[in-house]
Amino acid sequence: MSDDRFDGLVAAHHGEIYRYLLRVTGRVSDADDLSQETFLRAFKALGSLPPEANARAWLFAIATNLGRNHFRSETRRRRAYAGVRAEDRAGGNPGPEAETLFHEARDRVEAAVARLPLKQRMAFTLRKLHDLDYDAIGRMLRCSAESARAHVFQAFRKIRQTLDQSEMPRMEARR
Amino acid sequence: MKQMPQVCREIQEDLVAAAVQEAGARARARVQDHVARCAPCRGEFDRYRVLDETVGTLKREPAPAVETAARAELQLRLVDLRRRLLTYGVFDSPLGRILIGRTEQGVSLVRYLGRGGVPRLPGLEAVADGAEIERLYWELLEYLRGRRTRLEWPLDLCLARSDFHRTVLELTARIPYGAVTSYANVARELGRPAAVRAVAQALRTNPVPIAIPCHRVVGADGGLTGYAGKRIGLKQRLLAVEGVQTMRQPGDFRVVREAMYVRDREDVEYCLPTCGVLPRRSLAELTLFASRERAEACGLHPCTSCRPDLHPLPR
Repeated sequence: MSDDRFDGLVAAHHGEIYRYLLRVTGRVSDADDLSQETFLRAFKALGSLPPEANARAWLFAIATNLGRNHFRSETRRRRAYAGVRAEDRAGGNPGPEAETLFHEARDRVEAAVARLPLKQRMAFTLRKLHDLDYDAIGRMLRCSAESARAHVFQAFRKIRQTLDQSEMPRMEARR
Repeated sequence: MKQMPQVCREIQEDLVAAAVQEAGARARARVQDHVARCAPCRGEFDRYRVLDETVGTLKREPAPAVETAARAELQLRLVDLRRRLLTYGVFDSPLGRILIGRTEQGVSLVRYLGRGGVPRLPGLEAVADGAEIERLYWELLEYLRGRRTRLEWPLDLCLARSDFHRTVLELTARIPYGAVTSYANVARELGRPAAVRAVAQALRTNPVPIAIPCHRVVGADGGLTGYAGKRIGLKQRLLAVEGVQTMRQPGDFRVVREAMYVRDREDVEYCLPTCGVLPRRSLAELTLFASRERAEACGLHPCTSCRPDLHPLPR
């Protein structure tokens, strides 16, 4: 196993894998855990990766897999807390702090991405923020490239709807 | 939206695709053409474009500080993993399926697998890595075919069960090619002549057989006694590779002492097996050599009374 090759992978891709997982999980602690796990698994499996393989896509695939497994157990956990969360939402208007927090369009989009269903969130983030191609995304999400593309478009529509509902100030297009 | 004309409905998908830069040239042209004439769709197109531009700004965000901390933590865990990682390969050999595994420090596991799978290794993470281990395998094959007398592998005795076992294994590693000695002699050399059973136990759990040649250690009566469980046949074959003759006796193989040269304890000479009282002594203090070359390769000289150089054993 070449340690140099692996150190190169960490240097080149740790940042983006971390940010990807931060968007997928929405929590720093989860992104910490899953990004570490991604690279530890990659380290153990590096010997089986052909030299000519796309190591970046491979790392994203490991991260995606871990993200999916994470949410499988997370879903169970969330169900247990669903009642509590419903009460939170019924708590009334968001306070002035929340208003300030989300006043920027970018934050609104980020928040809308965070609310996407997992598969759409993954497909959207992989495509629009990490520029992976649909074939690779399809393999990661265990669907066809066409379905991966459809997930990205559904994500766009949902984000758009969310932004409309939140009555964001009108943004002018730069043409 | 409900009253959207047919033409607008049909172009919706391409419109979104074109706005977020995911459309092909033809679809893009069609959308451009349409939005030039249709104000509601132009509005829709613009909103998606703004959205796409905003998404683009997310991509250019600076790395969050937490990322640096996570990376530092990862580096620490990698150091730990590198220390605990055992890469291994499983190969067919003349002695059956065999597993060779190594850590960062050196070869730490050689295991006859038979029909079994990869063993559980407490404290280590075992990862299959055929390519890395294959070079070791080829050297092992050369050794088993008699084309190599040493496996110059760095060893890591992390799987030895105790410091005592480690000491026994290190001492056994020094037994030269083509030589045979007894558990009692190893115990004597350790300075613990009573610890014969403990020495045998340490060699029974040798994590790196062949690399540490526990097959060169036999009972004080010359019986092969045991090897890798009940695989006495393997011990006999490994000794045969080194030119050590054995004969089958009821229930056991035994080295043929009469066909081997003898060294008494730390003597600097080697003798014929018939020299003086040697034939009547147990192997507890003796080392046997398959040939004069093997004895002399260890720096020993021919005995000046029995003169093995003048009266060599028949081959």
